[in-house]
Amino acid sequence: MAGSALRRLMAEYKQLTLNPPEGIIAGPINEENFFEWEALITGPEGTCFEGGVFPAKLTFPPDYPLSPPKMQFTCDIFHPNIYSDGRVCISILHAPGDDPMGYESSAERWSPVQSVEKILLSVISMLAEPNDESGANVDAAKMWREDRNQFNEIAEKLVRKTLGIP
Amino acid sequence: MRFLGISFVSFVLTSVVVANAYYQKKQFYPSVVYITKSNPSMAVLYIQAFIGVWILGKLMRKIFFGQLRTTEFEHLMERSWYAITETCLAFTVFRDDFTPKFVALFTLLLFLKSFHWLAEDRVDYMERSPVISWVFHVRILSLLLLLGALDMHFILHACQSTMSKGASVQLVFGFEYAVLITVVLNIGIKYALHSVDLNSETPWDNKAVFLLYTELVMGFIKVILYIAFVAIMVRIYTLPLFAFRPMYYTIRNFKKAFSDVILSRRAIHNMNTLYPDATPEELQAADNVCIICREEMVTASKKLPCNHIFHTSCLRSWFQRQQTCPTCRLNILRSPAPTAPTNNNIPAAQPQAAAAPPPNPVPNPYFNVFAAPGPNPFNQFNQANGEMPPQTPPPTPQGAAQPQAGSVPGQAPPPLILPPFPFPIPFMVPPPVPPANLGVLTDEELRQLEGNERRNIQARIQCLINIQTMLDAAVQMMQQYNVVTMHKLQPTTSSSSSNTEVPQESQTSESEAAATSSEDANREPARDKTNEPVINSMSESDVPSSTTPEEELRRRRLQRFLQAEQQQQPN
Repeated sequence: MAGSALRRLMAEYKQLTLNPPEGIIAGPINEENFFEWEALITGPEGTCFEGGVFPAKLTFPPDYPLSPPKMQFTCDIFHPNIYSDGRVCISILHAPGDDPMGYESSAERWSPVQSVEKILLSVISMLAEPNDESGANVDAAKMWREDRNQFNEIAEKLVRKTLGIP
Repeated sequence: MRFLGISFVSFVLTSVVVANAYYQKKQFYPSVVYITKSNPSMAVLYIQAFIGVWILGKLMRKIFFGQLRTTEFEHLMERSWYAITETCLAFTVFRDDFTPKFVALFTLLLFLKSFHWLAEDRVDYMERSPVISWVFHVRILSLLLLLGALDMHFILHACQSTMSKGASVQLVFGFEYAVLITVVLNIGIKYALHSVDLNSETPWDNKAVFLLYTELVMGFIKVILYIAFVAIMVRIYTLPLFAFRPMYYTIRNFKKAFSDVILSRRAIHNMNTLYPDATPEELQAADNVCIICREEMVTASKKLPCNHIFHTSCLRSWFQRQQTCPTCRLNILRSPAPTAPTNNNIPAAQPQAAAAPPPNPVPNPYFNVFAAPGPNPFNQFNQANGEMPPQTPPPTPQGAAQPQAGSVPGQAPPPLILPPFPFPIPFMVPPPVPPANLGVLTDEELRQLEGNERRNIQARIQCLINIQTMLDAAVQMMQQYNVVTMHKLQPTTSSSSSNTEVPQESQTSESEAAATSSEDANREPARDKTNEPVINSMSESDVPSSTTPEEELRRRRLQRFLQAEQQQQPN
């Protein structure tokens, strides 16, 4: 019997392949290494990210699901809760105990009942409704609050860029 | 590609140096002497040797590991930088012994060390890889055997050298190889555990525990080795700065392993004692899938107080990190199990139990007090105000409530101690009442009444104490009537029927108990030599009151009290 982390990741992969949720594709980059996944997220409808397809990389720790994975977008994305290097700052990905922004309650932190699917769905809803209280990208948070039009413009430009449309 | 270029250049240079020497001296020995005398040629040869070691390393890596994974390579690079720095520091201690042989030995040490690191990473990877081929097993086994043999050889060599020639740099080597052999042992044990787990069809729950203990024992051995090494080095040479970083990390790892073991033990203990096993029916009723590992639960699953069910092993590893329910984040250490209350955790359980009556009768005397009165409003009062004691404190510091609460050790003082019906003290223990008309008394009787002998004063004090007790009781009763009428005014519905069916007997005994124990406590100031033994034996018998039948105890107490009274009365 393989390790428990591996079995759980395989089970999640199977689940995501059999019943894929809308707007999400995820799976290991290489089936020899189940601890590095690639995910594609479609931008939620009715927002400035609509129509975009955003690739991201998920890195799982050896003790998954006791510790949360790390998620990093591999494309350019302009969002208050995403660092400029693509790392996602969302409470579901933070283990209880470490609180980078100092405001999260433990109720919304990582717990072993969370899953890749839930993470990705949370990220989609985060794209739709940024939390400007915790600025991972301070410029984006400021612009989101003060100059929504310019924010939308930049986001749409980056959406076109991810799709390869000039 | 670059490496190929460098090795090619080095090879060409070496050939040029050798060819040049041979061309100049024409013979073997003179050319050897020429080369060893010339610094540039020696430098070229050293570089060539280094390149040779490098090539050998690559070859061994190909044989034993195949392609390195990215993380393995990163680990290797990171650790080698530290190791090289420490080696340079070690050179400063042994600068007198600085010879090519010494450098060669250190290079060899580094070389072997890097293979130990790689083997460690590779064995850790076993748990995370979906496919483990037989090639993997052959490679790891042969590598471990080879490394272990080499380590042993170098340790023996260092020992012999130290024995015959006294302390030298061999001390460092012996120690380093001793540390490495613990690493080999650790890897070997891990490998064995992983392979057993891989070959079994069902998940092996205890593997994590074995791994934890292995870590602990190995950490302990390493810490001892480091401390011994530093002590020896300080005695013979100087402070071994180069050993401090690894020593620090070893001690830190050991501390972590130690706390892990403690946390794990606590989690196991909690699970074994506090939580019941989930029954097959419960598993059927629930989803039957452990949400932590997403696998079916057949056996070995536990139910938390919040009714969430998980695999025992999954819960154990989670509880090592956090003591909350993974699903609802209920803090499991704060809320006791509802079905198996023991005497120790009743005080903690009481607010919960009062808020919602527990399914099983709880062996707590105060629940009888709560349940005793016939009228319903009282039960509702209890349910509504389970945590009221601070609002209704006893009126006097020597009031009836406090001594009684103290007389039953280990129980939280409940809000209501005295039942709301007439207090029987005055009828059962009549105090010496002074006659209404003093005129009818003779002088003798008057003198006796007023007299200043000891027993008269005692009788008077006793009388006053009894009056005080009666007043206290009256105040308490008035308060209770107040509360009850207050609740009568609110619209109420009778909710718990089971509680009202307590036999009448227990009511009376309760009230007697309340009365007597309050008097016991109040009599204490008037204690004298004659009844001291009685009181002592009573306070002794108070202690096991939670275990013996309470009514029996109270009856006995009452009897003793009456006897004491009777002894005093005739006087």
